[in-house]
Amino acid sequence: MFFRRPSREEQIHGGPPLEFERPIPPAPWRGIAVVITIVLFVATALWELYARSMGYAPTLNDNDDLWAITRRKVQPESIVIIGDSRAWFDVDLDEFQKGLGKRPIQLAAPGSATYPVLADLANDKNFHGTIICSVVPHLFFAPPDTPPMERAEKNMKRFHNQTPAQNASEYLGMWLEERVAFLKPDDLSLQGLLNQLPIPNRSGALVPPTFPPYFQTEDPERRARMWEKCAEPGSELAKKIQQVWIPLFSLPPPPSYIPKDVFMAKMKEGTEKRFADTVDAVEKIRARGGKIVFVRFPHSGALKEIEDKITPRQQTWEPLLQMAHAPGIYYSDFPELSGFNCPEWSHLSAGDSVEFSKRLVPHLRAALKM
Amino acid sequence: MLFNSLTFVVFYVVVVALYWSLRGWELRKNLLVVASYIFYGAWNPPFAALLFSTTAMDFWLGRQIGKAQEGRVKKRWLVASICMNLSMLGFFKYGNFLLQNFQWLLARVGIIYQPPHLDILLPVGISFYTFHSLSYTLDIYRGVLKPTRSLRDFILAVSFFPQLVAGPIVRAGDFLPQLEHPPRLKSNQFLWGLALMTLGLFEKIVLADTLLSGSADRVFDYAGPLVALDSWAGVIAFAGQIFFDFAGYSITAIGAALTLGFHLKDNFRFPYAAIGFSDFWRRWHISLSTFLRDYLYIPLGGNQVRPFRMALNLVIVMFLGGLWHGAAWTFVVWGLLHGSYLVIERVFRIFFEDKTWAGHPITRVIAGFVTYSAVCIAWVFFRASDFTIASRMLAGMFGGHPNGDMILTTRELLQIGIVTVGIIGLHWSMRDDSFETTVMRLPAWAITAIGAFMAFAIIFTQGTSNAFIYFQF
Repeated sequence: MFFRRPSREEQIHGGPPLEFERPIPPAPWRGIAVVITIVLFVATALWELYARSMGYAPTLNDNDDLWAITRRKVQPESIVIIGDSRAWFDVDLDEFQKGLGKRPIQLAAPGSATYPVLADLANDKNFHGTIICSVVPHLFFAPPDTPPMERAEKNMKRFHNQTPAQNASEYLGMWLEERVAFLKPDDLSLQGLLNQLPIPNRSGALVPPTFPPYFQTEDPERRARMWEKCAEPGSELAKKIQQVWIPLFSLPPPPSYIPKDVFMAKMKEGTEKRFADTVDAVEKIRARGGKIVFVRFPHSGALKEIEDKITPRQQTWEPLLQMAHAPGIYYSDFPELSGFNCPEWSHLSAGDSVEFSKRLVPHLRAALKM
Repeated sequence: MLFNSLTFVVFYVVVVALYWSLRGWELRKNLLVVASYIFYGAWNPPFAALLFSTTAMDFWLGRQIGKAQEGRVKKRWLVASICMNLSMLGFFKYGNFLLQNFQWLLARVGIIYQPPHLDILLPVGISFYTFHSLSYTLDIYRGVLKPTRSLRDFILAVSFFPQLVAGPIVRAGDFLPQLEHPPRLKSNQFLWGLALMTLGLFEKIVLADTLLSGSADRVFDYAGPLVALDSWAGVIAFAGQIFFDFAGYSITAIGAALTLGFHLKDNFRFPYAAIGFSDFWRRWHISLSTFLRDYLYIPLGGNQVRPFRMALNLVIVMFLGGLWHGAAWTFVVWGLLHGSYLVIERVFRIFFEDKTWAGHPITRVIAGFVTYSAVCIAWVFFRASDFTIASRMLAGMFGGHPNGDMILTTRELLQIGIVTVGIIGLHWSMRDDSFETTVMRLPAWAITAIGAFMAFAIIFTQGTSNAFIYFQF
């Protein structure tokens, strides 16, 4: 580039002269286009048939664009559900509407921390509605820069910065997802299939955790329902997902590059800060006339044992309610809310979620003084 | 609007269908102007007004330069155009960067100054369209282009949607003449354009976003020390990702323009088969490197000056080239590294160019390997968000963390290895040809099979509309 003096033509145009035309390789392009179109159509149809034969059906995928569209539906007096996947799976919007008199807006998101959404609602000066906030301590107290926080922040970022083009693409995508079964990025995309390759890793490698395969449907209101295949008693899919939760909910080893005591001190500091920040957010909402209730949704099996051990109620749930001076509903405190079985230990089946929601409503009404 | 989004698919089909069904050439050009502004406004509508105002200003300034008789007056109007364009770029892109550095400088002399943080949203593609527009007044000043009489044509030259936000940097002098006569719809040209778009989207969606970006992001975002294998794998993954991302955008833009009857020049020519750094810059982001050569390097004296001054010119050009990419010192270091590479290569050439062994195939392969490795080392500064990350990465790459962590899965290492061997092999096999020549040599069944594979892979991959890396510049 820099060592050769360019010709006069290059000096003017940075390359060949004005009459530059891109060469078109001679080939039977029409025939090629026809064959490619046919092959593409047949391959896509076969892939769709294969996906359906595996039990997949068309449904929406949860993503930050759909979340942003749903977030925009929040009105000053809305009832808003925030938190993690338990509130996403276990709440039936119809039952809540019947019992609370208003259709709630579903903003709970799988694997995500609650605080960024709570803080955003607290800072939204127009909002003075009701918040039903799910608490899974492992996610609720997730430190900054961890995947649960990043997921919630990604949703928030998209809500605040969504462009008209992204909005339009989401509506087009929803139209397709409601008709095409193979549009399942977690399971049936190239990345999803590559992730499933059984290739052993190097010993000692800190590889990312495995996430559960697709096991829910979602509607345009972001209401999630467990896939029937997963809810079947003793299903292989449920067993597979159970094994995914164990490492995800276990305490990860401290990073190798931070001394353990420093790391533990930082974790403790982070948890205390989360308590304080949550209290601030709750007070802001309450000062405008808004209400909040914290809810602990059912969980079971070995996952319950792990959660109870790592994030015991006495150190998480109870101080939270005490500091925030907020009402809370812990499912196991009430016989009518206990006894539900989570097929994969963490969420209710679609049928149970309706019954659970129906039974939860009176408790919510009492807690919110409705 | 992103090329790899469903909105673009619908937008493109509607625009192309309307474009070729309209009869009048003026009507078609009007359609392209409206479409280009919709394409741009779909990100942030107010920025379309900014784009229009700078374009209109350059149109007027171009006329003033063209009308002026005296060189001194011409120069004054040109300075006005450069100041207007660069101040716009400076405010939006470098405002906070300049303030932070000013604060740092004051702190060095003991003055504590807390500047207000300017909440500036960077208009997407501002670096590209500023250069599209600037090339117009520069070429009129140099006497190689006459001002156009049509504001509409100039607006289209600057904002033509395929190249508007991430290049190639198409000079007004290359585009305006194409607006003089209406192109005819030629099926082979149209279908070849679609083939190029398929290739570009395959590079972006399948290779960059699916096979490489995850590994590169994890390595560069990891807060701890990494062993050499993971460090190198992350950097090599980024080298592949940025090529497929940017070359993918360029080839999609070239293909989209071709389906509308416009001819844009190549922006990449197999850069990872470069032998030496001047060769690399003849192959990488050609529209930027030729822009810098013609409007900066040559006016600085180019090769027609003493060796020391020439070396200084190279470093100045690459310094500014680095800064063009982003308002951060890491980009400056990236540019300076390339400037140094070019100077060192120049020195090598003085001493060794005439030696017989210099042209030996083994020497060329070794030189190619050295070039690729040095380019990868420079990418560390391009990708790292600060010098702490960059120095940690370099330490890892050169064995500074023998007990560091291993964070990539075996599958990711295999993906990076296979894609990298593939890209380097393909670049070397085509390095002395054009892409079209290579396609010409293929039998029709092979073109069909490759085309069908790429098109199905795009559907199969179910891309997530990740933005192109170069949008941020």
